[in-house]
Amino acid sequence: MESLFRNTLGPTAWAVMAAIPLAIIALYFLKLKRQPLEVPSTYLWHRVIEDLHVNSFWQKLRKSILLFLQLLVAALAILALLRPGWQGQTLEGRKFIFLIDNSASMSASDAEGAATRLEEAKNRVAALVDQMESSMSAMIMTFASEPVVVQEFTSNRRQLREALTRIEPTAAQTDLKGALLLADGFANPRRTVEDTENAEDADAVKLADVPVELYIFSDGRFPEVGDVELGNLVPQFLPLGKSDTNNLAITTLSTRRAEANPEQVQVFAQVSNASDTEATADVALYRGDQLVDAVETQIPAKGIASASFLLLDDTPAPLRAVVTPSAEYGDSLALDNTAYSILEDDRTARVLLVTPGNRALELALQTERAKRFAKIDQVAPTELKSPDFEKQLDRESYDLIIFDQCVPEKMPAENTLFIGNLPPIKAWTDEQVSETVVGPQIVDWDRSHPLLNLIELGGVQIAGAQIVKPPAGGRVLVDSTDGPLVSMAPRGRFEDLVIGFEIVGKNDAGERIINTNWPRKHSFPSFWLNVLEHFARDSGSQSVHRPGEIVELRLAPAAGIATVETPDGSRLEAQVDATGRMAFQETERLGTYQVFQNGELAKRFAVNLFDRDESDVALRVSETGEDGLNIVENLTIGFVEVVAQPRNADIRKELWKLLLVLALVVLMTEWYIYNRRVYI
Amino acid sequence: MPENAPLLTPELCSQLERLELVTRKIFRGRMKGERRSKRKGQSVEFADFRNYVAGDDLRLLDWNLYARLDKLILKLFLEEEDLHFYALIDSSLSMDFGDPTKLQYAKQLAAALGFVGLIRADRVRIETLNQKPGQRSPAYRGRASVWRMEQQIQAIKPSSETNLARGVKNFCMRNTGRGVVVLISDLMDKDGYETALKYFVSHEMDCFVIQVLSREELDPDVKGDLRLVDCEDQDEAEITVSAPLMRKYKQTLDNFVASAQQFCTRRGMHYLLANNQIPVSQLVAKHLRRRGLVR
Repeated sequence: MESLFRNTLGPTAWAVMAAIPLAIIALYFLKLKRQPLEVPSTYLWHRVIEDLHVNSFWQKLRKSILLFLQLLVAALAILALLRPGWQGQTLEGRKFIFLIDNSASMSASDAEGAATRLEEAKNRVAALVDQMESSMSAMIMTFASEPVVVQEFTSNRRQLREALTRIEPTAAQTDLKGALLLADGFANPRRTVEDTENAEDADAVKLADVPVELYIFSDGRFPEVGDVELGNLVPQFLPLGKSDTNNLAITTLSTRRAEANPEQVQVFAQVSNASDTEATADVALYRGDQLVDAVETQIPAKGIASASFLLLDDTPAPLRAVVTPSAEYGDSLALDNTAYSILEDDRTARVLLVTPGNRALELALQTERAKRFAKIDQVAPTELKSPDFEKQLDRESYDLIIFDQCVPEKMPAENTLFIGNLPPIKAWTDEQVSETVVGPQIVDWDRSHPLLNLIELGGVQIAGAQIVKPPAGGRVLVDSTDGPLVSMAPRGRFEDLVIGFEIVGKNDAGERIINTNWPRKHSFPSFWLNVLEHFARDSGSQSVHRPGEIVELRLAPAAGIATVETPDGSRLEAQVDATGRMAFQETERLGTYQVFQNGELAKRFAVNLFDRDESDVALRVSETGEDGLNIVENLTIGFVEVVAQPRNADIRKELWKLLLVLALVVLMTEWYIYNRRVYI
Repeated sequence: MPENAPLLTPELCSQLERLELVTRKIFRGRMKGERRSKRKGQSVEFADFRNYVAGDDLRLLDWNLYARLDKLILKLFLEEEDLHFYALIDSSLSMDFGDPTKLQYAKQLAAALGFVGLIRADRVRIETLNQKPGQRSPAYRGRASVWRMEQQIQAIKPSSETNLARGVKNFCMRNTGRGVVVLISDLMDKDGYETALKYFVSHEMDCFVIQVLSREELDPDVKGDLRLVDCEDQDEAEITVSAPLMRKYKQTLDNFVASAQQFCTRRGMHYLLANNQIPVSQLVAKHLRRRGLVR
């Protein structure tokens, strides 16, 4: 009985309600006023009445048809006030927090009665909001990779419903912990203790602890949440989605230059199958908008398979891999069927070599392996003076500038490597006592430093060198009998490497001399590979960016503003700081982002979901229950195990609207009968 | 129709001119033409003998019979045996209903029939039910009396002391002899119409009963809960109008009319149901002609 009706009125209101039908009946039977009408003769009328008195019961009934209808209207209205309904737990409590998961897996299309799981969650929250009474207040939060408060505590149901319509699905992963912490902050207000003279009063001053009901609408695709104290929160987990949903997803898309031929690029796509049946799907690779190739792949149940493509042309382009499952597979989440990647021109590093000519160095920097690490630009030292050089430095961002046999006027904002000269920095030059030594013998080198990895400098002979003592904070890499020969020191964010001896040089007469036999040693090309590898930076285009993460890029520092075009076409501005770094935050959408500087395309990057757990959209199910039904796996929050509520438990179907409509219909019938004196 | 409107309009008169009253009890088979031709002089066709009473025309005395029998006996010729036409109007309060009131309608009908009689040199007498037993109304003869007859009819007012049976009985006692009597009433008497009409049976007159009912009685338009008050005796009947009630009423009314008709027919009387919406000219020219009252 209690679940059939919900009492919304107090006893005085019910007393008034009960009096209404009594009043109606009393008014009807107290005095039935009849209009007098003069007739020529009641001779016939008497005969009529006498005959009719035989069925007096029905006569009375017909007389009281209006009474009956009015009582019916009153009864329907009172019944509607009782809020009868079924199938529901009633909404009990004072304060509620609705947590709605709007991660990528909530866009799966296996919801009941709605297009996606998120829609179903919104519908169920709306049904719960409808049951709220005026003394209850609720707040709505969504959580994906970070929690967002959609509506703060309010008892205004209309506001809550409007807040629900504002919730949009995202492509992010699920992180429940942050949402729980935020909910905890709202639910457990910190106690304040006032300074009072009385110690007892201090204890008594506490903010009231009202238990807060926490409804979590999610499909459970997140790691276990530990370390969260629930405090006032009473959690309830309302699972969404089905346990037998199928989903194919691309979980990795990576590119690599082919070992044999670096001009060719190999593209690997990994597809995962989150269902119990084996799936056959087409994986297609698009370069820009053009289809490059398509491969039919078989993916085992609950397993992964990979498809690989070969690109012969390595010009930069955005890449897109699309997996198309067969129609009978019933892929429920389309969000993860497409993966994006960027094929970029850069080899990993960009290096500028400023040299009048150094055959050995150039050769070393252009080996096959070196090409994999960096792209080398070369200029002559005469360029250093030209204004174009400054502009070039601004336009291109180099990872390393090698100054061979020359010194720039001011230090560039890059890493530098000096051969045979000191950098024009006070810190360096102060250290030195300008000492040129002849024939230094290398005694020791720092084998642990990555630059000297696998380097043997044993037989290296040097004709003449400068001693380079590193400034404070630097380290000596190669030591000789006469002092440090190779040192390295940091300069702000950059590093400067100084090699005190020239490889080739010019003597006073201007002839080319060879200063050392190092180029003929094995360690020479290895050293330069180490240099390239060490100074090669993650340029950011190959790393995986997830939705919602901050993406850091290195651009040319020239323009202070860069324009980023998101996959849906909108353009946003981002600040570029003096060193060319740009941090971009609005990465909620999956796809290819393009960065423009001064109207020209500077960089691209891709945002992908790439989360096997998120793509495994089926509801996690623990062992089957007694009656053979699958029980949804429970959540574990802190040390509390939150039982998953059965599916239909919380939407209460209420009849009051139907009853009011019926009452209105009866009222109109009564009006009609009264006015038209319809005879029955 | 306002009460003071003339009962006989020229149009009505012109329509009535062509008609004449008929009775089948007396003078069956008499031809029309004969009556007309006898107007100007005495007839030679012998009809009947009658004892002399004071006031009769001395010229009619049959001296031969006086010589033989030493009694004063009148010899009546055909023209003497004019039709005596009586119109008996029910002027009870229940007749004062309707639009036009039933009484007005009855008056108009009586006037029309009286007119027909007068222009055919029949003797016409207009009486009402509430007349005292000894009170005789004047007899009219001839076209010249039309307006006097009209005056008398016009002066009839509804009265509360009318009883159908007593009125008919008084009429019968007042008017013996033969003739045609037309009773114009609604027959809505609490004591029933049978007693009253039985008086006519024993009477030797040719009786026509015209029951006049108003539209509101034939097809009442009532709604809701009502307390019906009888205008004559303030009797009350409480009704709650519903479809079965109305059906019952119609049925009762039909039964009433049918039983009245049957009663009359069994006793050799004519019966006609009239409602106050039928124009008098139509009633007289069509319905009464069919019944055989006029020709």
